[in-house]
Amino acid sequence: MTAMDTRPLAPKDVRALVRPDQVHGSVYTSQEIFEMEMRRIFREGWVYVAHESEVPEPGDYVTRRVGGDPLIIARGRDGQVRVLHNCCTHRGNRLCSADRGNANSFRCHYHGWTFSNDGSLVAVPMKDGYADRLDEVKDRLALAPAARVDSYRGFVFASLEDTDITLAEHLGRATAAIDRLCDLSPTGKLTLNAGWMKHFNRCNWKMIMENNVDGYHALFTHKSVYDTIRPAKVSHVPSKVQVLVRDLGGGHTEIDYAEEYTRLDEEFVWFGRAPRESMPDYIAAMEAAYGPERTHRTLVVGPPHTLIFPNLFLAELNIMMVEPLSPSETVAHYTPALLDGAPEMNRKALRRTEGALGPAGFLIADDGEIGYRNQRGLAAHRPEWLELSRGLESDTGNETGTVNYDKSAETPQRGFWKQWQRMMGETK
Amino acid sequence: MPTDGIDPAWAGFIYREARLADESRYSEWESLWDDDEAVYWVPIEPDQDPNRKLSYIYDNRKRLASRIRQLNSGFRHSQTPPSTMRRLITNLELIAQDERSVTIGSNFVLFEHREVLTTWAGRYTHRIRTNGDKLRLLQKVVHLVNSRDSIPTLAFLI
Repeated sequence: MTAMDTRPLAPKDVRALVRPDQVHGSVYTSQEIFEMEMRRIFREGWVYVAHESEVPEPGDYVTRRVGGDPLIIARGRDGQVRVLHNCCTHRGNRLCSADRGNANSFRCHYHGWTFSNDGSLVAVPMKDGYADRLDEVKDRLALAPAARVDSYRGFVFASLEDTDITLAEHLGRATAAIDRLCDLSPTGKLTLNAGWMKHFNRCNWKMIMENNVDGYHALFTHKSVYDTIRPAKVSHVPSKVQVLVRDLGGGHTEIDYAEEYTRLDEEFVWFGRAPRESMPDYIAAMEAAYGPERTHRTLVVGPPHTLIFPNLFLAELNIMMVEPLSPSETVAHYTPALLDGAPEMNRKALRRTEGALGPAGFLIADDGEIGYRNQRGLAAHRPEWLELSRGLESDTGNETGTVNYDKSAETPQRGFWKQWQRMMGETK
Repeated sequence: MPTDGIDPAWAGFIYREARLADESRYSEWESLWDDDEAVYWVPIEPDQDPNRKLSYIYDNRKRLASRIRQLNSGFRHSQTPPSTMRRLITNLELIAQDERSVTIGSNFVLFEHREVLTTWAGRYTHRIRTNGDKLRLLQKVVHLVNSRDSIPTLAFLI
């Protein structure tokens, strides 16, 4: 009888869980892997935390958990957006319990310590108890900030611990996907202020992210939508369409309909084929901003369908972010990507988001059920390895990344796993 | 027990609506609704404007019909098989009355079993059309106690 091996997983062991065409089932079920992910990916790497439009005015803040850490994202009096740990530096009290609000300072209700929304400790009741150390105490005990904060076109990212790459290096080619979304607004800006659906999923966070860029499942998982509600935007048969899947590098991956929509040269295929006559103000504003030709191209090509590693998904005209809770529990957050200067679009966008997404969504409810069944299936010890070989022979490289013209190819999943493997297997 | 001013027929309508929803009798449930006018609404924030803020569900009559068609397809995996459900409705109060409708508020607790047992609870507001040959549902608003928190898949009729 051998003693149970209780050594923690070595980096090389973790790297070995991902093969070019397979992934080990334990990545979805292991508590140890989950904790390593929260450290190596969610704290030591760049993650999406908020959008600037969620905190438009000085004093505005939102709170949320990223990688399990409660955070306050607040716009200071100086206009700067900061990412602070939502934890009183005295005895650990969760400082702010509201989802969002406006406040220049946060007061801890335990001992009355007051922090400015830039994180500095400004008031300590009965300060004589710190004798002449008070200034030192106040300097040392500011709210713990994220090590790095940066943004791209309003999308705020943070690295909670220090990281050795810039946000630009992290995003790489994914900035083009963010551009594609923002450029649907006449002012180039998004307004994420419609509120959030929060869908509690009984499955691992990576299953949800993989499913977002899975071009194989729709015909089967969403059969009920195509049979009874509306037909698919374009054919599901890969050989009939120029829809492709792409690994952009850095773990960012997507399904790209641009070439197919351009081939059709039809506007708004991605928006229920709404005729441009139904939104005259939007068209006028877009043409004033970008000119008629570029506007036409933009309305043909439409928004991105792009996963930004690890926790953000640009779900066409929606933003989705995932909040892992445990190996088998995840909250998926959804909001429509409202476009600044486009009220006609935004009115329709709310209803479209409600129809498709969230816990009651025509699409997402069934994705949730499938994810749950995956998680339950993975209680089985066999098979050990899950298959991700689809399309391996037909992957091709070009200047945009690794691309496959079979939209059902598992190129995006392989790209996600390569980044996961790299970040998890790093020796620090 | 219904409170003062609530016709037993209205309470009976609410209880029947609940039973049909519990038993996933989709088409029968749909037939309770008015043919033209319908609002089936599960807001996220209690006092939100549905035209500016996102809701979990905000169905007009057409979307409601789509929802029922989808549930009847047999391929709505999230309700195939249907969850086993039973809800309790209490604290009925007459909120408003006019020549064509009554609005009744009530509290509910719903036990949904789908491999795990989930409890849903909150307040219903039913607006029922009273000026036809049959009672018909015009509006059902569902305020969940946990609407601002995360909720599990809600593919059944709440």
